[in-house]
Amino acid sequence: MAATTTTLRWRVMAASAALRVALVAYGEWQDAHLEVRYTDVDYLVFSDAAASVAAGGSPFARATYRYSPLLAFLLLPNSLLHPAWGKLIFSAADLLVGLFIDTILRLRGVPEKTRIWSVVAWLFNPFTFTIGTRGNCEPIVCAAVLWVLICLMKGQVLQAAFWYGLIVHFRIYPIIYAVPFVIVLGKNYAGPAGRPILTQWSSKQQLQSDKTSENVEEPTSLLASLWIFLSSLITRNTILFGLFSGSMFFGWTGVFFYLYGWDFLNEALLYHLTRTDPRHNFSIYFYHIYLHHQQGFSSIQKLASFLPQLMVQLALILRFSRDLPFCLFLQTVAFVAFNKVMTAQYFVWFFCLLPLILPWTRMKLRWKGLACMLVWMGSQLHWLMWAYLLEFKGRNVFVQLWVAGLVFLAANTFVMIMVIRHHKYTQLFSVSTKSRSKVAAKKE
Amino acid sequence: MPCSRTYVADAYLDALTGQLAQHRDLTEVPETADLCKGLDDDLDVPVLSEVHRQLVGEGSHRRLVYSVKFGNCEDDAVKFLDGYAANLVIIEKLPSGVFADPFELQHFVERKVFLDVAVFGDTNLELPSALSNRSAVEIHFDFKPSTTMDCNLVVELPLHARYPPLDSSGYATVEFGSPDLLLHYRKKDTHPDSCIWVSKNLDAEPVDKAVWRVPCGNGAHAGFVSSLTFISALVCSMSVVLAASLIS
Repeated sequence: MAATTTTLRWRVMAASAALRVALVAYGEWQDAHLEVRYTDVDYLVFSDAAASVAAGGSPFARATYRYSPLLAFLLLPNSLLHPAWGKLIFSAADLLVGLFIDTILRLRGVPEKTRIWSVVAWLFNPFTFTIGTRGNCEPIVCAAVLWVLICLMKGQVLQAAFWYGLIVHFRIYPIIYAVPFVIVLGKNYAGPAGRPILTQWSSKQQLQSDKTSENVEEPTSLLASLWIFLSSLITRNTILFGLFSGSMFFGWTGVFFYLYGWDFLNEALLYHLTRTDPRHNFSIYFYHIYLHHQQGFSSIQKLASFLPQLMVQLALILRFSRDLPFCLFLQTVAFVAFNKVMTAQYFVWFFCLLPLILPWTRMKLRWKGLACMLVWMGSQLHWLMWAYLLEFKGRNVFVQLWVAGLVFLAANTFVMIMVIRHHKYTQLFSVSTKSRSKVAAKKE
Repeated sequence: MPCSRTYVADAYLDALTGQLAQHRDLTEVPETADLCKGLDDDLDVPVLSEVHRQLVGEGSHRRLVYSVKFGNCEDDAVKFLDGYAANLVIIEKLPSGVFADPFELQHFVERKVFLDVAVFGDTNLELPSALSNRSAVEIHFDFKPSTTMDCNLVVELPLHARYPPLDSSGYATVEFGSPDLLLHYRKKDTHPDSCIWVSKNLDAEPVDKAVWRVPCGNGAHAGFVSSLTFISALVCSMSVVLAASLIS
């Protein structure tokens, strides 16, 4: 039985690898023979930037290159070996995400059959296997985020900090995970042996009850609760993590500022922090931004667009941070949904975290799971229909497209609420051996 | 002009708002005057007989299609091309609100659709009209015997619309001016040191107007769109916060 499931796992990985190699090869053919390219425009931008570096110049000589120079360095073989090198690297990262999902779930005691389904949810998701093979670099970010999670689960705090600082430099959005990482690294992170103890998966349907067990004493006031909470965050691990990841981020940023100056800061960092794109995209804010692009925005408008995002992030962190993968997943969905700009490539940011929570959901595929998928995809298709009429038929459907964006936000909210209501909240790290015994006794 | 300089427009385009200088015979251009003396004496350069230009397609991505016919081309063109290498040069000064993607056009050069192409001016692909400047495109199209045998060259230039300024009518109208057409030629097998191109203005008649209607936002919507956007974001965020708080 074990040999059968192990063989099945390797077959899944082999089939995924074959699919990706075939798609990369097909992409090369389509680019050469058809008017419409398979390759993402961004890949051409990365390749041009890498060619510029290979010629001794700056990657920012290429217009619209808005990434860390590390990406251009990684793609140097595009001009030295073969243009498809980058796609193969991104597809390999894609496969690595599948392996990491399996590793994380195995560490948490999820049975192999359930793990395979979770891995399949990533490896055979059409969004994800097209992303890497079309030349988008998001799989690298996903792999790095999952690796940080694995390092935290194994008690490798410095390594987690190294990769976290690096990936925030590379892509910025993972900064939203900083607070939950610090929270889990707090007082009850390490077990008696100095390494974290992972709460193992259980097939039982009832909710685990040790989410409040770390605060044995009842707080006397809100201020006291706040003090207890904040003081639990000041530990050797949190300080090490914070300092080292911060040093990594500022170190890499400093090196590239020294090499490429303000071009690097403006294009790779500040652009993403201040980006307001009036062109149509899934975000509900696009039409508001277009209608105000000529006169600018007031401070109140800027704050108003930031507030819902801030509220949701805070609420999710305060409520779910100890169930770390669940918290990261919800935070990412919310971050994308409430962002001022939303494009399809952002979806992989949470697709890579979805398989980590599937073994803990009470939602069955039939029919609630399917309902969530249909609502989410249906509202997206609805938006795409209006976007097609605007962009490719030249019809003035701005209002309809904006309403479709509101509907998509509602769909994202619906999915988030459904996932929250059907999730078996489980802390990633067990609090102490005493609590573990209590949990073991309950299981029996 | 010397072979070392590839493009015509960069020398003459006046910050994209002025008119392209009339290209008389190159003997009048000071820097190459001496080199060009007598170059085009007694030369039967193909003469333009018809030029048509049409904006084709729908939506925000369209093509300007040029159809260029030369008179007496069976005899004159073949005789001319025996001794000369020639390119048809089209310079299109794009109106505000429309842009060409230089990377897309470079792909055309790689696929040998164009001999060469360059975009001058504002090449930012992302900014709306109100925040961008104009640009111009110079296309070099190979004037080969195979294309001149049927005397009709067809050139397609892909273009994209920027987001126009707001207007209550819901549409912005973008009008194209007339392009400049030049025949760029030089003697075959010339020594690199004395290699020069002759650019002859083909004196094309003004073409039919090309007009592009681009949908635009309506400023009157600003109030209710902004309010509903913020209210929706608030309602959705509060729903998520509530759902998270109510889970036991």
